Amino acid sequence: MTVTNQHDLPASGAAGLAGVAAREATKGRRVRRFSADLSAVGEPALWAFGGALALGIILIAGFLAMIAWNGFTTFWPKPIEKVELVDGELIAGVPTRGGAYRPGDSTLAQLDDDTRARIAENEGFASRTLYQTANFDLYGDDFRWVSDFEIAGITTPEDFHYIERQQWGVFIGRITGLEVDGQPVEVTQDRLQREQRDARARFNEIRRLERRDIGGINHLIERERLAMRRAVIRHGEDSAQAQATIAEGTARIEELQAEFAELQARVNDIRAEDRRTRITFEEVNGQQVETELSQVVRFFPANALSLPDKVGIYLSRWWEFVSAEPREANTQGGVLPAIFGTVAMTLLMVIFVAPFGVITALYLREYAKQGRLTSIVRISVNNLAGVPSIVYGVFGLGFFAYAMGGTIDQLFYPEALPNPTFGKGGILWASLTLALLTVPVVIVASEEALQAVPRSMREGSLACGASKWQTIRYIVLPKAMPGIMTGMILAMARGAGEVAPLMLVGVVKLAPALPIDGFAPFIHLDRSFMHLGFHIFDVGFQSRNSEAGIPMVFVTTVLLLTLIITMNATAIYVRNRLKRKYASGEF
Amino acid sequence: MATAPTVATAQRSDRIDPTVYHIKKGGQGSALDIRDFNLWYGENQALYDNTIDVQKGMVTALIGPSGCGKSTLLRSLNRMNDLVDGLRISGQVMVDGFDIYGPGVDVIALRKRMGMVFQKPNPFAMSIYDNVTYPLRVDGVTKKSILDETVERALRSAALWDEAKDRLHTSALGMSGGQQQRLCIARGIASDPEVLLMDEPCSALDPIATAKIENLIADLRGQYTIVIVTHSMSQAARVSDNTAFMYLGRIVEYGDTGTVFTNPKVPRTNDYVTGRFG
Ligand SMILES: Nc1ncnc2c1ncn2[C@@H]1O[C@H](COP(=O)(O)OP(=O)(O)OP(=O)(O)O)[C@@H](O)[C@H]1O
Ligand SMILES: [Mg+2]
Repeated sequence: MTVTNQHDLPASGAAGLAGVAAREATKGRRVRRFSADLSAVGEPALWAFGGALALGIILIAGFLAMIAWNGFTTFWPKPIEKVELVDGELIAGVPTRGGAYRPGDSTLAQLDDDTRARIAENEGFASRTLYQTANFDLYGDDFRWVSDFEIAGITTPEDFHYIERQQWGVFIGRITGLEVDGQPVEVTQDRLQREQRDARARFNEIRRLERRDIGGINHLIERERLAMRRAVIRHGEDSAQAQATIAEGTARIEELQAEFAELQARVNDIRAEDRRTRITFEEVNGQQVETELSQVVRFFPANALSLPDKVGIYLSRWWEFVSAEPREANTQGGVLPAIFGTVAMTLLMVIFVAPFGVITALYLREYAKQGRLTSIVRISVNNLAGVPSIVYGVFGLGFFAYAMGGTIDQLFYPEALPNPTFGKGGILWASLTLALLTVPVVIVASEEALQAVPRSMREGSLACGASKWQTIRYIVLPKAMPGIMTGMILAMARGAGEVAPLMLVGVVKLAPALPIDGFAPFIHLDRSFMHLGFHIFDVGFQSRNSEAGIPMVFVTTVLLLTLIITMNATAIYVRNRLKRKYASGEF
Repeated sequence: MATAPTVATAQRSDRIDPTVYHIKKGGQGSALDIRDFNLWYGENQALYDNTIDVQKGMVTALIGPSGCGKSTLLRSLNRMNDLVDGLRISGQVMVDGFDIYGPGVDVIALRKRMGMVFQKPNPFAMSIYDNVTYPLRVDGVTKKSILDETVERALRSAALWDEAKDRLHTSALGMSGGQQQRLCIARGIASDPEVLLMDEPCSALDPIATAKIENLIADLRGQYTIVIVTHSMSQAARVSDNTAFMYLGRIVEYGDTGTVFTNPKVPRTNDYVTGRFG
């Protein structure tokens, strides 16, 4: 377009309009009035659609913000309040949440007139606060509601410590005594810290010896025992082979038992030493508790912390959370086994679902004759995605665990029977079940991706003398790979967050060992495992003390979301790299 | 791109005359001998009694209105039509004395003897180097020296070497349309086939790219037997030795290009080449 044109256009347009207006005017009074139906003004549904979208986004954002807020604040150290009640009782605890409630008649009857009048004024409501009083070993409860009208005074004493213990949960109180090597020493923060670090090192040493070394020996003894049994089952009790194996096995077991005794002695030594370093706490009402210092996981004077101290505690709690094993019925400690189980199961699932889904899609799209039967198969596959996931769990338990696993046990692990090896839930069956659950997603996405590969490319390849398989392998699959990956990502996202079927096929509250460890064959697909999704359910609703579990629910949820997002982001990154590699330059 | 003449007014009931032949012989015999070839897509017959003798080392053009079966005939020569469901044929296509539709023919081996260039450039989503060597690699050739040498030879033959030699390992999809089409030609001749089949290779290109490809065809003449489908009368006149005019699935006239365009023996050919019908 030339400059003159640009200049001309609006001018002539305006002139034209003016002309029309003039003509209209000269026609007299019957100027046509333009009016529009309301539904023709603008986009009638725009507000509804926009509003629905905005509402959806706000809900999701609010939901994520709520989880993130709860999850990220849980580990922040909070102050301890020492509360004196009107009846003289003392309570020390961390206020966790509060709210209004309506005291019952019997409670009201015990109150003095003033308070009762105030509550009546407030339409019968009073407010209260939930204190984490801890000290479960002394009081049999971790939490306590305190109504505002019960409180006579609140102080925040600086010498009160928040002490996280290996057993019995948290202790709230003062540290009154420290005994190192049987000798009482002066209690100073420095000394405490140093001695606690040493004590924890001892504790971890004991644990390592027991878990890894002694556990390993137990494992080997068990293996010898099974080998002996296997020889008996296979060759008969009196056969020469069986006798040889038994002789050999017995000798080996004796050797192992000697090793075992040696290790046990070492553990006992360390234990004895450990018992000589002790700490004494005193709770707010003066009751004292004495224990090994190594039982103390973490302690801090909650009311005397500087900001860097708090940050340090916050980070150390997060670190423990993601790197340690759970304690206290999962409500404390870490979730490393659950993280591990979730990731391992998801990856295994992808390993199963990827080839299975892609091969099915390849067959349906590239090889099968496109007829009615193919359509029926395709529709059935699509509908599989709508089957409730628990149904897959039932199928997994019945078919994989009992039928297939039972057969495997009979054929390959008869020596362990009646204890099932594969004939129960385990990570293999769980990931197979989830693979089955997610395979429709992969098939549908892969089929679409394959279909989208232009015909001209296939023809180009065939014309070069490539076989059908070569064409698929070198031209079609690479081109379809980003689309296939998208399907895989969707499947992964669905599989990683699925819990219901897993409860039937291998997820447990507390797994004694990880599915991957240092003992041959290193990957133990028969083992049951922990899963973050199930952990959330368990910690929040199945534990001794759900009040203590609820904050962990949010933390675990944050972690699960982070994990899924990370896995998906990685997959999306890989896919985009593939996409760039095969970027199509349309002209 | 020239608009293709249509056959909207043509009637199947038109009187059928036998094909008129007056071809220029190349002296090396025939590369492809198509005899009484009929082809059906399901119920619809697309080719009727096509008999053509494609001369070795010469350029043969197929012209005719849209839908007359040029592509169908061309794709029958390397059996690309096999991909179509419900395809039936009768007649023979002889290559070196054997019928490519005969029993026990190795279609893949056959396709290796024929390069094909399509209407729209269809380079693979790989590097230029990988594109050119693809026919060799599917053949199991892995030796680098052979591949290197092939790439240079094919790209030089396709007049693309100078433009591509510095970016052999970049994606072929980053090239211009004309370069992509020459790349496809290079790919078509990489495995040194006997016949090069081209289906409207210039229809997606601008005049300069078209001229380059026409020059290229002129250069390749003699070295390869070329069968080219084109809608451009002038292109057919410029590049080909013999021209077959097709109409409604039949070969109306098959003769040397000069005569077909200046002095056709059949009135309908005359109407078509002078642009009088369509
Ligand atoms: N795969 C197919 N299935 C069914 N019919 C087909 C198929 N391919 C082509 N045809 C039909 O065969 C006839 C010849 O088609 P063809 O593509 O050979 O024409 P053409 O001469 O190449 O036309 P154009 O110049 O437009 O490319 C047409 O009537 C077309 O509709
Ligand atoms: Mg065509």
